Amino acid sequence: MIDLFKEFVNIASEPIISFTALTILFPLLFPPSDWFEKVHYKLGFNYIWTNKGGIAMFILTTIFFILGFTDPYFSIILTKPDNVPIILMIYSMLFVIWYAMKKAYINDSRISNGKKPMEYNDPEDKVLVWPDLVYIEFIALLIFTAFLIVWSIVLAAPLEEPANAAATPNPSKAPWYFLGLQEMLVYFDPWIAGILFPIFIIIGTSAIPYMDINKKGDGYYSFRERRVGIFIFMYGWVALWLYLIVIGTFFRGPNWNFYGPFEWWDPHKLVFLNNVNLSEYIWVFMLGQQTPEGSTMNILLREAPGFILVFGYLFVLPILLSKTWLKNMFLAYGPVRYAFLCTFGLTMLSLPIKMFLRWTINLKYIVYIPEWFFNI
Amino acid sequence: MDYNNDERYWNISLLNKWFLIASLLWTVSMIWMFIDDNDDEFKYYQKQYYSILKDKTEEKYNSLYVEVKDIKETLELELENKITKMQGQEELLTLLDDSLITKKNNFAQLSIDFKAKIVEVDVAKYLVEKEKAEHSYNEESITSQNFKKLSLESKILKKQKEDFEISIAYFESKIENLGQDVKNAQSNRDTELARLDLLENQLDKLDRNRMTMSNKVADIVRDLPIVDFLDPRLKIQQTVVHDVKYDVNFATVPTVDRCVSCHMGIEDPLFSNVEQPYTSHPNLDLIGSSSSPHPFNEFGCASCHSGRSRGTSFTSTVHMPSTHAQQEEWEEEYDWEKMHHWLQPMLPAEYSQAGCFKCHTKQPFLEGAEKLQLGISLIQQNGCNACHHIESIPNEYDVGPDLTKVNQKFDKDWAFKWIKNPQSFRYDTKMPHFFNQDNNSSPEMVDRNNAEIFAITEYLYKDKEYETIDNEDEFLGNLENGQKLFNAIGCMGCHNINEEYVEYSPETDEYDFYLSDHGYEEGETSNYNLLDQQGPNLIGLGSKVSAEWLYNWIKNPKNYWEKTRMPNLRLSDNEARDITAYLLSFKNEDFENQQTPNLTSQSFDKDLDEIALGWLNKSFNYVEAQEAFNSMKDENKIIDYVADKSIRYYGCYSCHNMDGYEDAKPIGAELTLVGSKPLDKFDFGHIHDIQHTNFGWMNQKLANPRIFDRSKIVVPEDKSRMPNFYFTQQEIEAITTALLGLTDTKLESSKIADLDKSAQVLSGYKLIRKNNCYGCHQIDGEGGKIADSIKDILPEALQMEHRNYAPPSLYSEGSKVQPEWLFSYLQLPYTIRPNLQVRMPSFNLSDEEWNSIIAAFQDMEDNELSFESDHIVNKNGTKYKHGFELVSDYGYYDPETDEIIDAFNEGSRCYVCHFEGNVPPGKDFDITNPIVWAPNLALSQERLRPEWVKEWLRNPQHYMDYTKMVAPALYNKCPECFDSKLSDLEYDLLRDISDNKENPKWRTGEDIDYRLEAITDWIFSIENDADISNTIKEYFDKNGYKHFEEEEEDWGDDDEEYEDW
Repeated sequence: MIDLFKEFVNIASEPIISFTALTILFPLLFPPSDWFEKVHYKLGFNYIWTNKGGIAMFILTTIFFILGFTDPYFSIILTKPDNVPIILMIYSMLFVIWYAMKKAYINDSRISNGKKPMEYNDPEDKVLVWPDLVYIEFIALLIFTAFLIVWSIVLAAPLEEPANAAATPNPSKAPWYFLGLQEMLVYFDPWIAGILFPIFIIIGTSAIPYMDINKKGDGYYSFRERRVGIFIFMYGWVALWLYLIVIGTFFRGPNWNFYGPFEWWDPHKLVFLNNVNLSEYIWVFMLGQQTPEGSTMNILLREAPGFILVFGYLFVLPILLSKTWLKNMFLAYGPVRYAFLCTFGLTMLSLPIKMFLRWTINLKYIVYIPEWFFNI
Repeated sequence: MDYNNDERYWNISLLNKWFLIASLLWTVSMIWMFIDDNDDEFKYYQKQYYSILKDKTEEKYNSLYVEVKDIKETLELELENKITKMQGQEELLTLLDDSLITKKNNFAQLSIDFKAKIVEVDVAKYLVEKEKAEHSYNEESITSQNFKKLSLESKILKKQKEDFEISIAYFESKIENLGQDVKNAQSNRDTELARLDLLENQLDKLDRNRMTMSNKVADIVRDLPIVDFLDPRLKIQQTVVHDVKYDVNFATVPTVDRCVSCHMGIEDPLFSNVEQPYTSHPNLDLIGSSSSPHPFNEFGCASCHSGRSRGTSFTSTVHMPSTHAQQEEWEEEYDWEKMHHWLQPMLPAEYSQAGCFKCHTKQPFLEGAEKLQLGISLIQQNGCNACHHIESIPNEYDVGPDLTKVNQKFDKDWAFKWIKNPQSFRYDTKMPHFFNQDNNSSPEMVDRNNAEIFAITEYLYKDKEYETIDNEDEFLGNLENGQKLFNAIGCMGCHNINEEYVEYSPETDEYDFYLSDHGYEEGETSNYNLLDQQGPNLIGLGSKVSAEWLYNWIKNPKNYWEKTRMPNLRLSDNEARDITAYLLSFKNEDFENQQTPNLTSQSFDKDLDEIALGWLNKSFNYVEAQEAFNSMKDENKIIDYVADKSIRYYGCYSCHNMDGYEDAKPIGAELTLVGSKPLDKFDFGHIHDIQHTNFGWMNQKLANPRIFDRSKIVVPEDKSRMPNFYFTQQEIEAITTALLGLTDTKLESSKIADLDKSAQVLSGYKLIRKNNCYGCHQIDGEGGKIADSIKDILPEALQMEHRNYAPPSLYSEGSKVQPEWLFSYLQLPYTIRPNLQVRMPSFNLSDEEWNSIIAAFQDMEDNELSFESDHIVNKNGTKYKHGFELVSDYGYYDPETDEIIDAFNEGSRCYVCHFEGNVPPGKDFDITNPIVWAPNLALSQERLRPEWVKEWLRNPQHYMDYTKMVAPALYNKCPECFDSKLSDLEYDLLRDISDNKENPKWRTGEDIDYRLEAITDWIFSIENDADISNTIKEYFDKNGYKHFEEEEEDWGDDDEEYEDW
């Protein structure tokens, strides 16, 4: 029975399944529109954001990890000092998201009943810095220091010997907080996954306050008042960052192959992967001829479909959307904010798109110019 | 207190409680941190060490206390006596003291007067000089009179003062002498007690029960956290080894060795029987102690043992278990786990000697490194380095015989059976097994292999025919005589004949052995036992070669195989015939009766085609391959192609000389740095139940070379092909030890051994091993195995002293003989020791090689002179005369019979055993017995070095512990007595100071060197024929080597007096 369950988990955690499931579930967990909200309530997902739901989530996660600790293979991975922070991360992230959503749901219902949110205070009512703020900060500081000391005693720092190009570890993993990035490298060229995306993440998150014109939901928990924003952000944060870290930590083994949590990391494992570029799809499979090679013109000709696609995605699509589906938004935000929002949003969206393209049609690169070290 | 909480957002008293909890948590965590930081593993071991040390010191103290107690009492009694004695002389002492004080008082007055007088004299002198300058000087003047008077007075005073000084010194010494006895007695007692005090002081520092209260507190406090930076008792002990570097990839850092922090007793012989980690190093004379060649503070531990020397706990130092069982034990006991990231894990104790090879690469045959030596010998003898290039163990000769003329030696059928299964012919052959192994014993593979073997055989006989010989009798002599000769003349130095074999079952189940069906050699493998395996075990030759071939081969091996290491024993035609008859009497019928497939191309056609196509498809595309195949088929060249591919695939040419493969590259992976190869570069395949370590892999590879193909799907062309040598566990361990020594450790030249030796010397050492000089000769205590087989053929009476009839020990050869003589001798050996039947063979080496060998022998003795002036003896000088008298006059002393034996047959007593040119001992061949024969003394002049002869005469047994040579008696005479003859009485008086080594006065006296030199001079003055080979040969041709034969005892009749020798 347990073996069957483990086998099921092994298969289900395969990125193509788990990521797809997460993506499909996401709008049901954080409904961005009325329709989704209706389904959300109908399926009872709203119970997740209550005390009972929280406890259930906690218990399920804990059972999973207990099962993991008893498993001969998963326990090796779980108990590595490098990986312990990820377990803590899973718990803490589940908790804060659940906590915020629970509060938000309470406020939402208060607001819809015409009441003020729970956090609302009379502007005249003030709180003193000492002792009300500093004292609890100090207590928190003490507790956290104690926690860090105990952690450092119990789990030795996972320090290794000086790097040696002749003896690289397999799998060779980045620090845990970069594992999301490393996972992106599976799907993108380094200059995108390693340079462009991190820069966009930093600039994009800094730019949120400047692009946000929604005056509601300020200073108190709420979901409904900014449900689209929260949905998009949570998708980026949970599915495109935390999920990738978890995958990179627990499920990537030798040769960066995917291994289910209860699977032995067999170094001989081979997985079929035959990646094909977009240009090859167009030229070889559709047009039945070899790809143009050699001169600059030929290269550009070869990659023209890719360039057109990228250009269309980044520049034509926003304009089309501004005229149709996002017309209201375009008007509300104005062209500059709209342009930035689209740029960041589409870049973010390109990650799951590329992942799905890889999994479904083995697409390697949309634009592939090894001659110039330029791939998209 | 009623506290107004209205203005507070939080409940302050609740926060206070939280604060209390948080503070407590924090405090507890800080205390825990301190404990954890200071709870080092090494401290536990050091505490244990000090407690053992305390016990040991106490034990020592107690035993010394008992010993000293008795002495102490006598000494104290003596002291008391002396004191009483001195007290009896009290009166005298008082008197002396009084006189001394009076003298001193008087002296004090006088010395002041004297000082004043000197000044007065100076003043008077000034006045006189002034007068002289003013030309008013007058001898009679008052001034000048005064000066004279004062000068005189000062002289008198000075005299008086000196008198006092003398008498004061006299009295003082008197008084001191009176107390001297007491002082001596005191210091005697104190020296004895000091030994005890020393131990007591040590104990005071070790044993808290002996400490004062304040010291006890200090002893505890010094190890507490924070204050322990001052002078802790428990601290990390380390040494920095600057010339052994650890590579951190972008830089190298010196080794910091902290092993001694736990292995505290490593240098202390007191700890030799204590358990780990306190025990002392098992070989302190060689390693670790400050007087050894490898003191700990210069070498550290990890330089040899590897491991992470900076670590201070069992796991962090990367101790490595040698077996699974040990690993489990460690995991249980020490929470051991492997530190994957350390590239140089510690060598398990079994492989420690691998560390020697890091520095001793140039001359790795070291006393104390027998396992490493065995590993290297096995690598060379089995030709591992023929296929696997190893920079530091180069392949210097073909391990297998020349295959260019096999058609003269045996037929195709034999060759096929041999290649397929060599051990079925000779169970201990060095030819490894390629076939019927773990990955090629399936029926399809056997068919394929048979076709390959057939192709190879065809290649060997290409354009050659096996010449069947029917005139065999012509080459066959007397079998029995052949056996005697084989055993006696030296064949056994490199060969043996042993048909007995044993079943072998490995002592370990750790590795998956693929064992031989045909048995193993008896006895364990050691460097010594390998010596008579230089050449093959000569069994079954009757089922292999023709008499003509064998006859020609032993007559002159170089005719058949130019580069063979087999030397020429200069056999006569008859001798060669006899030995041929003997060797051909060994037959292997099982092998003869083995079935072979029909050895014609037709029967292998299908397989050959398949093999050829397989190889072609590997190199060409399908069309080209097919075309090439068709054209080969047309030209009937498939079989050649398969032969070529198979020979290249199996690497036959690595060990054998074969036509057309002179420049072919070795087929194995290079092993030059295999000891440093990262673990993940070893292909463990699907074998998971062996230890995941480099030595685990090597052991398994050697136990069953093909095992890592198991569970893999591999095409035949890519299968692993290392052949099986059927090594035993012990051999595998030795080879693994040698392989683990092949590392890339960075060492400064200060650590590398033998850098001072020239390339010539080093190649000499290698040649001595390559040509197996050790097989017959003992050199520095190593080798000389042929003596064992000579012992077997001697009559029982001679067996105790068998080494006298074996080739001589070459100890000190480099300082013994003159290099020019050695050079000419080695090129053309002749008889030196007439009593030996065993012969020095002729090695057909180049001048360069002989020079190297001679240089190596000289290097062993630190003798660097290639040319030396002749030792000229002045026959008219007294020294020569004394020498002559010493050897001729007095006979010699026989300690066994306790008799003085008179000079034999007039003249020198040396001629009792030694030849003088062609003149035999006793001057008559009829009365002498070959058993006592010793080298021709007339040869000494050109052969030996006088310095060596002198030392040899001093103590022959130092140079050859077995020799029957007696040290000449050197009567302890004064040099003046040399000229006069001694009377009988004097003769008797001198008896017990002659050759009796038990006698403490044996050969004492100031002029012993002179006398030894005198005898040497006499020896060097003997002029006669140097080469007496012909005389000796004639004698033995006529009389035979009867003295080596048990049954005939007529040799004893004439010379009864030698029977007890």
